[in-house]
Amino acid sequence: MRTIIRGILNNVFTAVAGTSVVCLCMVLVAVLGPMIWRGGSAVFFKGTVEFRKMQLALFGRGNEAKIEAEQKRPEDARRFVYDAIEKFKGGIDTEALSDKARQIYRQFGSELRQTDMPGEEVAELRSITRDIRKRLEIAFASQNRDEINKALTYVNSFRDDSRFKNSSAEGLFQLAEEYATAIQGINLAERNEYRKELAEVEQILTRLLGPAPATPTPALMMDRFGATRWDQAQKLLNRLVWHEQWAQQEPNEPMVKMRTPRSQRFAGTELEGLFDIIEQQLPEMLAPKLTFYWRYFIDDSTPGHYFGGVGPEILGTLLLTVLAMLFVVPFGVISAAYLVECASDNLAVRTIRMCINTLAGVPSIVFGMFGLAFFVLFFLPIFGVPSKGCILAASLTLAVLTLPVMIRASEEAIRAVPQTYKEASLALGASGFRTFVTVTLPAALPGILTGVILSLSRVAGETAPVLFTGAVALGPMPKSIFDPTRTLSYGSYDMAVGDRLAAMVPHNQFGMVVTLVGLILCLNTLAIILRFRVSKKLAGQ
Amino acid sequence: MAFLLALPAVCAAETLQIEGSTTVGPIADAFAEYFMRSNPDLEITVKKTGSGDGAAALMDNRCDIATMSRFMKDKEFKGAVEKGIFPVAHVVAMDGVCIIVHPSNPVKELTTEQIRDIYMGKITNWSQLGGPDMAIVAISRDTSSGTYETFHEKVMNKEDMAGNVEYVNSNPQAHARVKTTMGAIGYVGLGFVDINVRALKIDDIQPTRQTISSGTYPVARPLFMFTNGYPKLGSTVYKFCTFHLSERGQEIIEAKGFVPVTAY
Amino acid sequence: MGQGSVNDALMPAAESHRPLALTPTEDIRGFLAFHLGRTFLFVITCTSVLAVFLIFLFVIKEAFPFLTEFSIVEFLTSAEWYPESENPRYGVLALLTGSAYVTIVALVFSVPVGVLAAVFLSDIVGLRIRSVVKPIVEILAAIPSVAYGFFAVMVLAPWMQTKLGFSTGTNALNASLVLAVMALPTIISVSEDSLSAVGRELREASYGLGATRFETIFKVLIPAAHSGIIAAVVLGMMRAIGETMVVWMASGNATQIPSPWWDLSQSVRTMTATIAGDMGETEKGSPHYRALFAVGMLLLIMTFCLNLVSEYFLTRAKRAGGKS
Repeated sequence: MRTIIRGILNNVFTAVAGTSVVCLCMVLVAVLGPMIWRGGSAVFFKGTVEFRKMQLALFGRGNEAKIEAEQKRPEDARRFVYDAIEKFKGGIDTEALSDKARQIYRQFGSELRQTDMPGEEVAELRSITRDIRKRLEIAFASQNRDEINKALTYVNSFRDDSRFKNSSAEGLFQLAEEYATAIQGINLAERNEYRKELAEVEQILTRLLGPAPATPTPALMMDRFGATRWDQAQKLLNRLVWHEQWAQQEPNEPMVKMRTPRSQRFAGTELEGLFDIIEQQLPEMLAPKLTFYWRYFIDDSTPGHYFGGVGPEILGTLLLTVLAMLFVVPFGVISAAYLVECASDNLAVRTIRMCINTLAGVPSIVFGMFGLAFFVLFFLPIFGVPSKGCILAASLTLAVLTLPVMIRASEEAIRAVPQTYKEASLALGASGFRTFVTVTLPAALPGILTGVILSLSRVAGETAPVLFTGAVALGPMPKSIFDPTRTLSYGSYDMAVGDRLAAMVPHNQFGMVVTLVGLILCLNTLAIILRFRVSKKLAGQ
Repeated sequence: MAFLLALPAVCAAETLQIEGSTTVGPIADAFAEYFMRSNPDLEITVKKTGSGDGAAALMDNRCDIATMSRFMKDKEFKGAVEKGIFPVAHVVAMDGVCIIVHPSNPVKELTTEQIRDIYMGKITNWSQLGGPDMAIVAISRDTSSGTYETFHEKVMNKEDMAGNVEYVNSNPQAHARVKTTMGAIGYVGLGFVDINVRALKIDDIQPTRQTISSGTYPVARPLFMFTNGYPKLGSTVYKFCTFHLSERGQEIIEAKGFVPVTAY
Repeated sequence: MGQGSVNDALMPAAESHRPLALTPTEDIRGFLAFHLGRTFLFVITCTSVLAVFLIFLFVIKEAFPFLTEFSIVEFLTSAEWYPESENPRYGVLALLTGSAYVTIVALVFSVPVGVLAAVFLSDIVGLRIRSVVKPIVEILAAIPSVAYGFFAVMVLAPWMQTKLGFSTGTNALNASLVLAVMALPTIISVSEDSLSAVGRELREASYGLGATRFETIFKVLIPAAHSGIIAAVVLGMMRAIGETMVVWMASGNATQIPSPWWDLSQSVRTMTATIAGDMGETEKGSPHYRALFAVGMLLLIMTFCLNLVSEYFLTRAKRAGGKS
């Protein structure tokens, strides 16, 4: 081949090889980049006043008086919105009216139970009241004025019944009266549309600002607070101000999202200008502030990780890994010592080495199966402990997983100790054992420590072995080693695919993965630094 | 670290172990959160891996309550009784298995036969159903799920699904797959239908509270909590299993998107 | 060493009243201590043997009833995996092909990139760039598999659906790409080790004869280090076959053999994902449970054989290179 072509080929090859390394770097950035970016926002973000309220309620954190004072301005800003909506709702929100009617009915029912009227009378009264309630509901829901009037007339026919005097059933008649006046000036046909739209708006507002002032506290914690993060609030604001609908643009094509300003849908009513005001006033209503939520790494979380942090997961991971290390380090170091110091190249030693290599190659899921079949189902019952997944089983499984790594690293560390150390000690008359314990081992210790840290980092990231041996996605803090625990690895998996609420809190999803990766990278960096110092020290001798 | 080695015998707090369905899971979670907040001494663990797992756990006496989105199978029942466990069912809520598609999909209703054909691989493109020219990506729950059982029994008529059906392990995962894949079709419990997916009408019946509680919707089902025998009146297990009858409980059930058993 | 540096506790041998060398009978304690000590160390070292033995024992023990009850031929050749249906069938062909698919495609991506990168690191760049790239490779190796799975599901899958127009983002290609990234560090480090172990003489001789760097690498070095590179590929293959979390999250878990066979945008299921997905929910002791252990046994046997192969090539490389 001609020289020029060979030269070109050479350069092309160098370029290609170079791009492969550049590829590597790009892949690293592509994998870690989004994670760190979005996970970082779990700790650094703009938190709203709702966030501070939530911290106070859930963790008792923050000055109560200060938060109360801080709430004043947002509350003032919000009041306008709630008032406007209440006014509009008067004749429109028939759901609320129906609910009120039911509430009165139930109240009346419990009142009746407390009197000592005979059973049949109670039953009769209740059935009449139920009828009244049903007619009221028909009146509320109907769009036909005649139907409404008929129903209201029926209801009012019982108004003068003496049995209802001075009881809560009078509330029903009051409702009927108020309703009759309220619907005087309202276009009943459009009412349904407004009602649906308003329901959606109110739902989004509740997510945004929290429950409206007069409503009872919701049962679930996640419903008690509005948007705790400014980016969350922006998303909700977008949904509030723009109405999205899927519409068919062309036949036989997927539908496309169409956006219309929501104020258009309330055109002609008092609520038309409301949305602009909300958009402008939102910072006032939510008081966002840059927050550094370092307690993310300590806090427990509400179910589904909607609020809170990854504290228990970190603790669980640490428990599992440290316990696994406690089991594996003695076995690993002693095995390495034997292999370096005492082993001769006979069949037994070759078998041992082959077994160590085999162990290193077993897939992690098979370790999980082994952990389940042996540790959980066989080993635990021997000690009278119920055979379910627990920290003990999981850490034993992880210990077996990491045994070959530990043995190899310790062997390397012990071999790296210069022969001169050993020879000098033997020359001074120390026995082999004493030499090892007082001279070789201390010199190899930093190297062994490096191996421990590397094993730790490997074990912390393992998910498959702990899946059926000790990890749960949701559960209380473990009280003993016979309880299962949450871990960062299983938690990351659960947040990525399993959890219902996880998609609503992407910062928590990524936050957990980033915590895991960050922990592992820190451990690895530590090991690298240690290894560097060790090699420098040993090489210098 | 000494507590690590403490044996479980000494424990001041009361514990409640709940395992089972991912469909009923959110209800159990919400109940648990509520109970633990009003009673700080109480520790409730909720595991959601599938109705089958819940039944197995109850049979092994590993849990106090098994949440299941289907009734116990014959062999589960027999197995439990053989081991001395007498399962008692509490109907906590009603649910409908909704067929969901991506919101951009113009197809609004299907018949049971069409759905069966999709999952058996006979219909592979949305254009065969009057929709756009997109390949159908069928998503199913794994086989130990109660949702799968209901779907398998009522829609598939117990026939096997085609090989190219994708399997996911939980309701949220199915929801996420359909939400992000334009050609996807999947099935989840009613509580997992939100604005990011659209529920189809089946045989011209839309899954709503009325159609489910009246049983008109073809794939409606009760959601269960199974206990070992009827729980002692006043015990925590009893309170947990009857919470759905109280107003608070029903509020929670409705908030989670299910249908309360009574029309409170 | 002079007198001053001798430890006071150690007396010069001549002054000690204890002779230097004792026969066993004279120093029974020392004799026993020495040999008991050694035996104790040996026993502890044998835990790894015990562990391997127990793993094989328990996995086979749980799988055995299944293998006697159902036909092995059907197990291995049928693609119908319906363990929980009315008529249970346990055929792992689809699972085997799923695992094979993702592994082979992963290798197709990672072997060229890996070997090229190893070559780049060992022969083309100097110490400075090497000390920058090596940590990058180590970081790639250290990232846990669940983080890669997270990336595959949350970032790669949507991208495939929107930008590449795939009908489903969790498919064989997705899983293969991520597995390739996971196998890269193994391939790079083992290949680089074996390339560095090739003696300087070979390189110098080749350059002396007027070859370009490209020709030296391709015609001299890689053939010389071929055992080590093959071992690297086999180790990468082991990593890819045994990986669970990534394939569970990213491959879609459809129990099918893609048709047409080259269509990577279809969803597949691997053996590892089947075990991970089904195990938690199967009744302990049921046929399904035992079938899963049979699949695990298959995995164990496959990785064991691959391990033997890689060991063979590594010893060949050591013998050829003369470096331990």
